[in-house]
Amino acid sequence: MIERTRSIDIAARIILIVGVAFILAPLVIAFLTATLSYEQFVRNGGITLQVGTHFLDNLAYIWTETALPAQLWNSIVISTLVAAIKCAFAFTATFALVFFDNRLNRIVFGLTLVTVMLPLELVVITTYQIVANIAMPLNWILALTGLGEITGLGSDLRLSLLDTYVGVAAPIACASTSVFIYRQFFLSLPRDLPKAAAMDGAGPWRFMWDILLPLSWTPLVATFMFWFIGGWTQYLWPLVAASTPDAQPAVVGLARLATTEQDRIPEVPMLMTGALFVSFIPVLLIAVMQRQIVRGLNLSEK
Amino acid sequence: MRGDAIHLDAVTKSFGATPVIDAITATLGGGEFTVILGPSGCGKSTLLNMIAGLERLNSGKIRIGVREVQDLPPKDRGCAMVFQNYALYPHMTVEGNIGYALKVAGVRQPERSRRVAEAARVVELGGLLDRRPSELSGGQRQRVAIARAIVREPRVLLFDEPLSNLDAKLRHGMRMELSQLHRTIGATTVFVTHDQVEAMTLADKVMILNKGRIEQFDTPHAIYYRPASSFVAGFIGAPPMNLLPVTGGGGVLRLDDGTELARNPHEGPAILGIRPEKISIGDKGFAARVVYREDLGSHTAIVARLSGGQEVQVATPIGMHLDPADTITFDFPQDHLHLFDPATGLRLETP
Repeated sequence: MIERTRSIDIAARIILIVGVAFILAPLVIAFLTATLSYEQFVRNGGITLQVGTHFLDNLAYIWTETALPAQLWNSIVISTLVAAIKCAFAFTATFALVFFDNRLNRIVFGLTLVTVMLPLELVVITTYQIVANIAMPLNWILALTGLGEITGLGSDLRLSLLDTYVGVAAPIACASTSVFIYRQFFLSLPRDLPKAAAMDGAGPWRFMWDILLPLSWTPLVATFMFWFIGGWTQYLWPLVAASTPDAQPAVVGLARLATTEQDRIPEVPMLMTGALFVSFIPVLLIAVMQRQIVRGLNLSEK
Repeated sequence: MRGDAIHLDAVTKSFGATPVIDAITATLGGGEFTVILGPSGCGKSTLLNMIAGLERLNSGKIRIGVREVQDLPPKDRGCAMVFQNYALYPHMTVEGNIGYALKVAGVRQPERSRRVAEAARVVELGGLLDRRPSELSGGQRQRVAIARAIVREPRVLLFDEPLSNLDAKLRHGMRMELSQLHRTIGATTVFVTHDQVEAMTLADKVMILNKGRIEQFDTPHAIYYRPASSFVAGFIGAPPMNLLPVTGGGGVLRLDDGTELARNPHEGPAILGIRPEKISIGDKGFAARVVYREDLGSHTAIVARLSGGQEVQVATPIGMHLDPADTITFDFPQDHLHLFDPATGLRLETP
């Protein structure tokens, strides 16, 4: 127990206030800048603490004149896909790793570790090649076995996922961080639970569906939120994989706002308004799901 | 309902190179209450899991009734099991927990509720059907676990140390209930425990396991009065039987230093066993020195040291006051001696 004394209370509060101010400062600056018109911003000669009156005008401009509202929808779909793919694969993989004894388990677990350590940015070119033609592995097989010749398919099939939601989302989802979280959670469950289910006549699928999934709901929701926001803020890969504004997520579109003409001073107020606009949904999500996220990361069944 | 007999035929299981269950052959009587007893690591839970179908056999056969079951999945064996930590489904209500097996088996709703209610009634869980396991006490969770096991009307009921998480008072109550339950249901019951009191009170027959082998498989009475090996003798009883290495000759059993302990026709070396409560203290016999005393109310347990340095535990009758360093005289009555082979540990039948 920490003793509550006046001096500690005051010191703690000061530290808290400083910390909050430190974290909020960029947001405040962004918001203040977003209230300025372009002319005001240029006249000020940079970022100031002046409060303007153009916030709603800026917002209206973003809403009507840019691709951001449509791209917001792209972001929602892509982030949902990222989170769903990540959670689904991590959940089933962890289920297999924890509840089935196999001598390869350690190796598989090691491999999943590697995917965490290999960021997408590092393998972006290879990933692009694969997404540009996901029939590539099939082509190899067709060429290697000669089946391409026999069936008349050849070995030059093409199927590009560039500019599609799945094409943008799937490579981002290829990381197994959730496996660690789920593994810890599964290991905290009563050890005899799968045995009890087996005695009740439930096979592995039934056990996963009827028992493990409902029990894992809180960690699943928490990690889903995490990966949703993680997908939302992805920049480099969506920029590469989605070449048209129609397919780009909002964060990529946001960057486009800043760089329309080369010699002009960037439209910083518009950029800041756009940033606030784009981050609205994740912020709302966190605000609504706060308790779920905290509870889910406690890593044990209640 | 009557239970089926369980026939174990050279059942063997090893993890890696270490055998856990070593060619066990036995028949667990239909409708009987069999307790598998042994120290931790003796393989008792493994054996239970193999009967249940949760663990594969390396070799051997298991028959339940007339069916060979060693290759069947758990649900097709007609067994139900109660686990040590209950293993209730935390997200389901009591009703959901009890009825899950029926749900999986495809039993439809009005029928399912009826059978759940019936099982809950047997274990006196009446008003708790819509609670979650986390809202129940240890004893109530235990009842849910039992109701979940009996709801499918199994031919065989398996218990894996089900009472070890309860406090002493609750455990006693639960023991009585389990005994009654067994009589009501009549299913063949196999109960694994390391607690000898549970074994002695509940069992029709006790199977004592040690290092994956059966030491003795008999009634509690026989296990207590005619232990088949020095292991059983030293395992059963609290405090356990005293075991002393002796040499027989000329109708007398002697310690190594020549002290005469008792009269017995056995010739050659042996292990002499005598229960603490059978040793009489008086004026004839041989001398010992009290080293430790525990007053337990109903009797006093003392540890005494013989002239050769061996320690002997004795339960003395009420009213006898002994203090450490007192010298007393022991007598080992001839009728209460047990002799074991010093090499094999097996019981020697005295002529």
